[in-house]
Amino acid sequence: MQTECDIAVIGAGPGGSMAARSAASAGKKVYLFERNSRPGTPVRCGEGIGMRSLINHSDARKEWIRKDVTASVMIAPDGTRVTISDIDKSCILDRERMDYDLAQDAVKAGAILEVNTPVTKVTRRADGKYLCVTPKGDTLARIVIVADGVESRIARDLGWSSRLALDDIESCAFTRVTSALIDQNTCVFYVGSTVAPGGYAWIFPRGNGEANVGLGMLGERCKSGMPQEMLLKFIDRELPKGKIGPLHCGGVPVTRYVRPLVRDGVMLVGDAARQVNCISGAGIAYALFAGKLAGNVAAEAINGDAVRFSHLHNYEKLWKKRYGKQQERSFALKEFVTHHTDDAFLNRTAATLVKKQPGKIKYVTVFLSTFSRRPLLMLKALKLFG
Amino acid sequence: MALIVDEKQCDRCGTCISVCPCNALALIDNLTVDTALCTKCGTCVSICPVGALKINADRV
Repeated sequence: MQTECDIAVIGAGPGGSMAARSAASAGKKVYLFERNSRPGTPVRCGEGIGMRSLINHSDARKEWIRKDVTASVMIAPDGTRVTISDIDKSCILDRERMDYDLAQDAVKAGAILEVNTPVTKVTRRADGKYLCVTPKGDTLARIVIVADGVESRIARDLGWSSRLALDDIESCAFTRVTSALIDQNTCVFYVGSTVAPGGYAWIFPRGNGEANVGLGMLGERCKSGMPQEMLLKFIDRELPKGKIGPLHCGGVPVTRYVRPLVRDGVMLVGDAARQVNCISGAGIAYALFAGKLAGNVAAEAINGDAVRFSHLHNYEKLWKKRYGKQQERSFALKEFVTHHTDDAFLNRTAATLVKKQPGKIKYVTVFLSTFSRRPLLMLKALKLFG
Repeated sequence: MALIVDEKQCDRCGTCISVCPCNALALIDNLTVDTALCTKCGTCVSICPVGALKINADRV
């Protein structure tokens, strides 16, 4: 059976559902395809987000927020604790709930949600329309919004070379732990080669004595099964006797966003577009923003009856204006941190920071004190920012 | 030689797909390997967070 629509969205994560919702709200016929049986399950995420980003980019609901967090602590390889007051208040989300609601909001706006429906192939026809192939049947669309995550094959099928190099991906394992040792008001980040080479381990509180606990390491330094093994060791050390929930895993792209973000009739959104902060690995806010924007631009293009690159390019332009530079900076910093620093460097940085008044440390202070005694490194880093 | 997926270990996260140089991996219900494309380079084996992939010297 073949169906037809204006816009096909692949992947009902935050990016895809926002795109489907904004395009459907503008009166377009939208299909939203999801490989899993329920959007939001399983959760492959630490679930941390800045409160302001969440409110700015979605109609945030109280039920989506598991926990407000007032402070972040970085733990250096030698155990030094540096408290960083957040510029923006953070919270830990209930992604299971949030992703489900976002997909339902798209449905309420008129999008047709197809669950249990992986899109296995997308091909461009001679008339410029795209044929989305699924095990249940084919759908013909004028615009395809690709939001199928870090594992996106569709982008590659459509001509992007978005394969990730091993130093552009973090291999992660995570679980939920219940333990009385969890500080329920603080997000804790552990850095250093013995904990998480080229990445970090995290403990994000989610109330009721629970926390999301995970670990990501740079692909280049990863060996088969290492994230899982290191995570279990980490939990044993930091939260001994904690009750460990089901373990999940996933990849986080830490590279520059894909260029171009659009081609004739196709747009990339979220992890598939590598729209992720390369230092924190955070991608929800970017995906919410990009999805909504892509949906709007796609709807406008359909209104104008022209869906080529030049009609979709506004999405890339506006993304770049809002988050492009920030994401680019995070990439430069990640390149610097992963290739030019070691545990001794992290310890020195922590030692400098810890002398500062707690609560007065902002991310800028971290950056400045990191480099204050290393002018040569500073130059190198600035070059990367260039 | 063949790339073997341990279905019990595999969490279907797709991390391996994103690093595969040959586009030989796909996730439909389970992780599938296109043996015609796979060069057994082992990139997916090393990145797998849970160690679900192996290159087996024996014939399957």
